[in-house]
Amino acid sequence: MQETVVKFEHISMEFPGVLANDDVSLDIRRGEVFALVGENGAGKSTLMKILYGINEPTGGTLTVRGERVERFSPKDAIARGIGMVHQHFMLVPSFTVAQNIVLSREPRKFGVLFDDRAAVSEAQRLAREYALTVDPTAVVREISVGLQQRVEILKTLYRGADILILDEPTAVLTPQETDELFAVIRRIVREKNMTVIIITHKLYEVMAISDRVGVMRQGRLIGVEETKNVNERMLASMMVGREVLLGRLDRAGEAGEVRLAVEKLNVCDDRGLTAVRDLSLTVRAGEVLGIAAIEGNGQSELLEAVTGMRGAQSGRVLLGGADVTGSSPGARRARGLSHIPEDRIATGVSTAASVSDNLLVGRHRERRFNILGLHQKTKAVRDYTQQLYDEYDIRGAGVDTTVGSMSGGNMQKVVVAREFSLDANVLIISQPTRGVDVGAMEFIHSHIIKKRNEGCAILLASADLDEVFRLSDRIITMYEGEITGEFAADAITKEEIGYYMTGSGREEAQYAKAQN
Amino acid sequence: MQRRKIDLGYAASLLLSIALAFLIGALILAVSGHAPLNAYTEMVKGSLSNARHIGDTLEYAMVLCICGLACAVGSRAGIFNVGGEGQLLLGAVVAAQVGVAMEGSPKIVVIVCAALAAMAMGGAYAFVPGVLKVKLKVNEVITTIMLNTVAIYICQYLAKGPWRNSNPNIIAGTENLAQGYWLARPIAGSKLSSAIFASAVIAFLVWYIMQKTSVGYEMRLTGQNPRFARFAGLKTDTIVILAMLVSGAMCGAVGMFRVYGAEHIFKSSISNEYYFDGMMVAMITQYNPAGIILMSLFFAFLKIGAAGMEANAGVPNQIYLILQTVIIFFMAAQRGIAASVRAAAAKRTAQKEARARLAEGGARNG
Repeated sequence: MQETVVKFEHISMEFPGVLANDDVSLDIRRGEVFALVGENGAGKSTLMKILYGINEPTGGTLTVRGERVERFSPKDAIARGIGMVHQHFMLVPSFTVAQNIVLSREPRKFGVLFDDRAAVSEAQRLAREYALTVDPTAVVREISVGLQQRVEILKTLYRGADILILDEPTAVLTPQETDELFAVIRRIVREKNMTVIIITHKLYEVMAISDRVGVMRQGRLIGVEETKNVNERMLASMMVGREVLLGRLDRAGEAGEVRLAVEKLNVCDDRGLTAVRDLSLTVRAGEVLGIAAIEGNGQSELLEAVTGMRGAQSGRVLLGGADVTGSSPGARRARGLSHIPEDRIATGVSTAASVSDNLLVGRHRERRFNILGLHQKTKAVRDYTQQLYDEYDIRGAGVDTTVGSMSGGNMQKVVVAREFSLDANVLIISQPTRGVDVGAMEFIHSHIIKKRNEGCAILLASADLDEVFRLSDRIITMYEGEITGEFAADAITKEEIGYYMTGSGREEAQYAKAQN
Repeated sequence: MQRRKIDLGYAASLLLSIALAFLIGALILAVSGHAPLNAYTEMVKGSLSNARHIGDTLEYAMVLCICGLACAVGSRAGIFNVGGEGQLLLGAVVAAQVGVAMEGSPKIVVIVCAALAAMAMGGAYAFVPGVLKVKLKVNEVITTIMLNTVAIYICQYLAKGPWRNSNPNIIAGTENLAQGYWLARPIAGSKLSSAIFASAVIAFLVWYIMQKTSVGYEMRLTGQNPRFARFAGLKTDTIVILAMLVSGAMCGAVGMFRVYGAEHIFKSSISNEYYFDGMMVAMITQYNPAGIILMSLFFAFLKIGAAGMEANAGVPNQIYLILQTVIIFFMAAQRGIAASVRAAAAKRTAQKEARARLAEGGARNG
């Protein structure tokens, strides 16, 4: 049994309105690679920021090397041999590699002058010792992201870290760079007996690099396992499952004509890398097509391309038979599309505006709300928004309060109320109940099914597999921007879906494609 | 309701900053050997003691107010117009030349043409950075600032070159405006003109459009969260450009008012960075239309009063600048201080609640 170097006991972290960590207890052992996985917002980074002294926990105790620590700062963390490489690098772009490595503990000449030569030789020594090849005199701005990450790692090593936290280290790396990083991690663990904690949501990486894995969901640590005892499918269901088991909802009517069609669509993500690859799908009136995928496999980009928030590189999007590929979100809405976006705060609402202003948009040009398209009728607007407010059971201090002051669940209800009241015939829904309590979830689910039964064509993406199962008529699985399988929802199990979500079915899918 | 409470708190802190600024001003006065009370009395007298002074104060307040509202229109829609100075100057020079070129036409025709030309000029000059921002994502702060400089030199060129005054004593100025085209002056000897009525109408229209119309609603949503506005189907590009056009047209109108109401000629005194003063007023009052009107009056009182203080108490004009700066400084600091106090309070409550829950849980378990 290896010695425990870090011990979290009943750690809780509460931000105003959000419980980011909920009673987390976890031991990290010397000389292991520990992977912490979970969806975005599950609390992984928050927990690690507690260890690095950025967050002060609101409850529980943290013990490092047998010593209980309180009022911890990053400076204290560094003094105790903890280093963290953040997702966004903390480097000075105009400095050289060596200057960045020694920053905050610069070698001095005569006590005051920066000793550049000593810095370079120190950087060289470290690079040799850990076999992390870098050119100490290169300027950071001019080297690749993979090398910048090495500089970050060397920086923590220079400060004497032997517990290394890597926050989503592979998010910015190419596959080759990822392989190199993993080789480095294995080497420093094996040869230097260091401890590495790696935060990720890519499950194959967990399998490839870690000794043990902890799964987090909604702030809680769901389980800790020896990596050799689990597989990707088990991890996936731990990550996305919910405690409450939900039955499928009653549905009525058969699917009608095709309302939404996507043809050979290619879409890039924010970094310009292909996120959706030659993807085609159709959604018919009166059916819910669910997308099951681990986060970051192109489902977000696909939905944004369908709604017009993101441009497509090639391929077509058809709404009711009309090509809308180059149209604005407004033009697509005019054709009967509604959209519940993935990120409600950034996209779904204006937090500075009142509930009433947020509920009205989309209908505000209707004649009943203004005179000659100019003067807005305050009373008509108020009556209408108050009616939606009541109908969708939004709970807050009334329609005049700003949306930013509401809880996440009620904010989501504002989005749902507006989008569902727009008489759409195509609904694009992304993460409809993320961060929403069970009651509100039930409510939103029943409204989605109601829309379906009324003949709406619905495309749904959710990180919550139970939700996809509960609401969908058909399910497609996506992996790395491609569809890996398509199933009738009542003819497949969660375990089978998990298999396709991790890309395992891809070869067969490609085979089937080639056959057609 | 909640909104009104915030505004009251803001008004209170504003008044407190003003009081503090006057206190610091008094200290500076005392240190520099002037009796503070006497100096402040002269300040009040200088701006409010007779109809002429009040007129001058109102004239300057009018300029500040329309400039401030112009800035607010842009900012509400999410575009920061720093180029009002250039739009104002170009509007003024075009309006002045319209009056010269149309000499002989009836007054009403000339006034209307000059106002329209000035607004079109100001609007067109604001259109350029608006389009650049929307289509090419060029930062409007940089483009508008640069265009200010361009406008200043264009105006100088016109006033020294093709549109030069025939009187050789006037080095840089357009031809004098025929007296028949001057705007009426309600107070003899003061620069205040009937333009103040037009300004009142503009101010009302701006408030009405921003608060009560569908266009204003779309502008608000666009300024608050442009991604949301686009998502919701609004034509955000058009809205931003429209806001910029309106903002520029208002600045152009101010230029016309300055020529036809106050100076009766285009020369450098048409604007002494008046737009920047107006912009500051708008920023201090957080782009609130009513706040802009009140704060414009106050700043005009300070500025006109400073002249009286200089003439009658021997206090250098710069003391006004110090006061103005200190007020702005306090307002800026106030926002930061209030925010950090709120954040600390929120953190304390969260921690207390978490501890209470833990204690409760512990009691249950034990």
